[in-house]
Amino acid sequence: MPSDTYQVVLTGEVLPDIDRAEAIAGFAALFKLSEPAAAAKIDKAPIIIKKSVDKATAGQFFTRLGKLGWKIDIRAAVSLPAAVAATAPQPGLKFTFTGQPDYAFVTIQIPKGETIKVEASSMATMDVNLQMKTKMKGGISRLLSGESIFVNEFTAEGFDSEIGIAPGTPGDLRHVFLDDQTIYLQNSAFVACTQDIEVESKWQGLTKGFFSGESLFLIRAKGRGDLWFNSYGAIIEIDVTQDYVVDTGNIVAFSEGLDYKVTKVGGYKSLFFSGEGFVCRFSGVGKVWIQTRSTAAFVSWAHAFRPVKRTSGSDGGD
Amino acid sequence: MQTAIKGSKAFSYIEVSLEQGESIVCEAGGMSSMDAAIDLTARLNGGFLRALIKRYLGGETLFVSNFTNNTSQPRTLTLVQSVPGEIRCQKMQGEGFNLQPGAFIACTAGVKLGLRWAGLVSFIAREGLFKLVASGDGNLWYGAYGAMIEKEIDGEYIVDTAHLVAFEPGVKLKLQLAGGLFSSLFGGEGLVTRVEGKGKIIVQSRSLAGLAGWLNPKF
Amino acid sequence: MQIELLHQPGNTAARVTLAPGETITSESGAMIAMSGNMDITTSTHKKKSGGLLKAAKRMLAGESFFLNHFESSGQAGEVIFGTGLAGDMMVRELEQESLIVQSRSFLAATDDIDIGFGWQGFASIFSGESVFWLNLKGSGSVVLTSFGAIYPVVVDGDYIVDTGHIVAFEETLDFTITKAGKSWLHSYLGGEGLVCKFSGTGTVWCQSHSSADFGQRLAPSLKNR
Repeated sequence: MPSDTYQVVLTGEVLPDIDRAEAIAGFAALFKLSEPAAAAKIDKAPIIIKKSVDKATAGQFFTRLGKLGWKIDIRAAVSLPAAVAATAPQPGLKFTFTGQPDYAFVTIQIPKGETIKVEASSMATMDVNLQMKTKMKGGISRLLSGESIFVNEFTAEGFDSEIGIAPGTPGDLRHVFLDDQTIYLQNSAFVACTQDIEVESKWQGLTKGFFSGESLFLIRAKGRGDLWFNSYGAIIEIDVTQDYVVDTGNIVAFSEGLDYKVTKVGGYKSLFFSGEGFVCRFSGVGKVWIQTRSTAAFVSWAHAFRPVKRTSGSDGGD
Repeated sequence: MQTAIKGSKAFSYIEVSLEQGESIVCEAGGMSSMDAAIDLTARLNGGFLRALIKRYLGGETLFVSNFTNNTSQPRTLTLVQSVPGEIRCQKMQGEGFNLQPGAFIACTAGVKLGLRWAGLVSFIAREGLFKLVASGDGNLWYGAYGAMIEKEIDGEYIVDTAHLVAFEPGVKLKLQLAGGLFSSLFGGEGLVTRVEGKGKIIVQSRSLAGLAGWLNPKF
Repeated sequence: MQIELLHQPGNTAARVTLAPGETITSESGAMIAMSGNMDITTSTHKKKSGGLLKAAKRMLAGESFFLNHFESSGQAGEVIFGTGLAGDMMVRELEQESLIVQSRSFLAATDDIDIGFGWQGFASIFSGESVFWLNLKGSGSVVLTSFGAIYPVVVDGDYIVDTGHIVAFEETLDFTITKAGKSWLHSYLGGEGLVCKFSGTGTVWCQSHSSADFGQRLAPSLKNR
């Protein structure tokens, strides 16, 4: 990666609710100028404070001057050489996975001014200048599915920034770039996406089987951009050409072009004793991502460790 | 003494071979298997009062296990942590190393574990009032839930409090809200830790709070 | 029949490919996916015997154990098995031998393996999880799972294993429940409590992590019952 250098530019504008005189005084103190000299310098804005510094230094100036009340612009100092005409550049944002396949973690580079949407409480690390806003998402269906209905939007203000995302589930992460395509995700599989991807919950009605423990609530993602989704456990990709049956608790995602039907396995004896509960039969041609762990089994294992509230008249959870 | 970290990063464990007279200290309950001839004694994790403090405020166990080989042959034992994840060995040479409570697994005799005030910020962030500060010479093993990710800090960075595992002495912690008040409370991010300074921080790719958050709606 | 282990050792799944008419037996709930032409029947014991009443008794005792038999009908088929907890798997070929397996670690076995529940052994008292033991006897393949990485300990003398960490062991070994440390007080305070001491010659397969310990660690963050 070329070592990019940056210009730190004082736009001359102050941030909202900032007293300009105080900001000038702060600027003067920082650069060891007298206040009139500082004011004169600022009058000539926009001015280049630093011509060519590395990213970390630029970040420090951005923060320090920002604290003093100044609106700062960071620009790339060196214009990168024209891309060698070759294969088309990889569409979408730059990102790296670590910890695969068991405890996958993704670090995404968000270009200046752009926003990504992230599942609430999945942010683990981030650059200080990322601004976070919470948006309510989805309607009643999402609430009932048990999934939190908040999605956080992170915007890179003034600067290319990075964010590290860790889902709550132990497992893998996958990325797809949707080119005006659609993909269906199991409700807790959504991790993050870029702004132009539309994510909506689709009510599956009767398929909340009490044996599977995990209702077949689906989320539909479509549009053009990046989508990251996670699994509980490792992911196995199945290319469906003939009928394929998957336990509803193990579906992560599937592509368009597949028909699916939720049924129970075998007869009633199987239903009660086999532990298999509801399964989803896929037909058609497409791809299914399945996870190697069974959510329902994990939930019932964890249930045994739940603390029992000792006070009387407790709500007892649920 | 010979030690090796085995298992994948998802389920790391420590294989130890002790020569005659050698000992290793590990958190209570950390042994999964050992040669029957190894002697196990439990001792307080510090003096009595400090051990109590470490337990109730620092989240560490009250007692630690001391494994000694008092026989003439080398003996093996296996040490583990209660959560699945990566284990790393920090070679200490007099400088300090800070651990979040619960991350400590084992250490050799020359490493001292102290309790330091981590600041009110740490308390509010539910991490406990104290941080474990290791010093001295020897090996220190610590573990995470999930994979470990190292980051060199030079300036400032933000870390979700449940994901911070360890940090070098040159790094300080400060607390802040993740977003505006509404975002912080409902966006699930709540309080985050701002790390400042120069040095390395170790972050874990999963957190028990995150796992519980995924499980609780499903009960 | 082919058994392939995928995504070892963290989130292992076992992919079993069956020729038409072939069967494999697994514990209930282990199937995560299968081709459309598989037939499933459920029983409490080997495919041929019934024993629903015995199974009901076991269920009341808190030890439910049902077995599913998958048969590939018409053409070749596949079944993919996974477990609720993350971890590793191993395939062991038995040749007229006996293997004692912790109930939670049993995943699947070929038809000629007899799955016996008669082995009394010991129950894990302090671990907080009810555990019982299976006696696998015969010739064929057995698939075992673990919470954590599986490591074998070849015992020749005396070796101590914390009960929460035992996956399986050969019947040739003797064992006693004992204390880990110099005294009961030390053992308890050291967090080890009761452990299993194996003596003689044979192999014990251990798992690096204990699901009971992980559960205890997670418990404070879980919603109250």
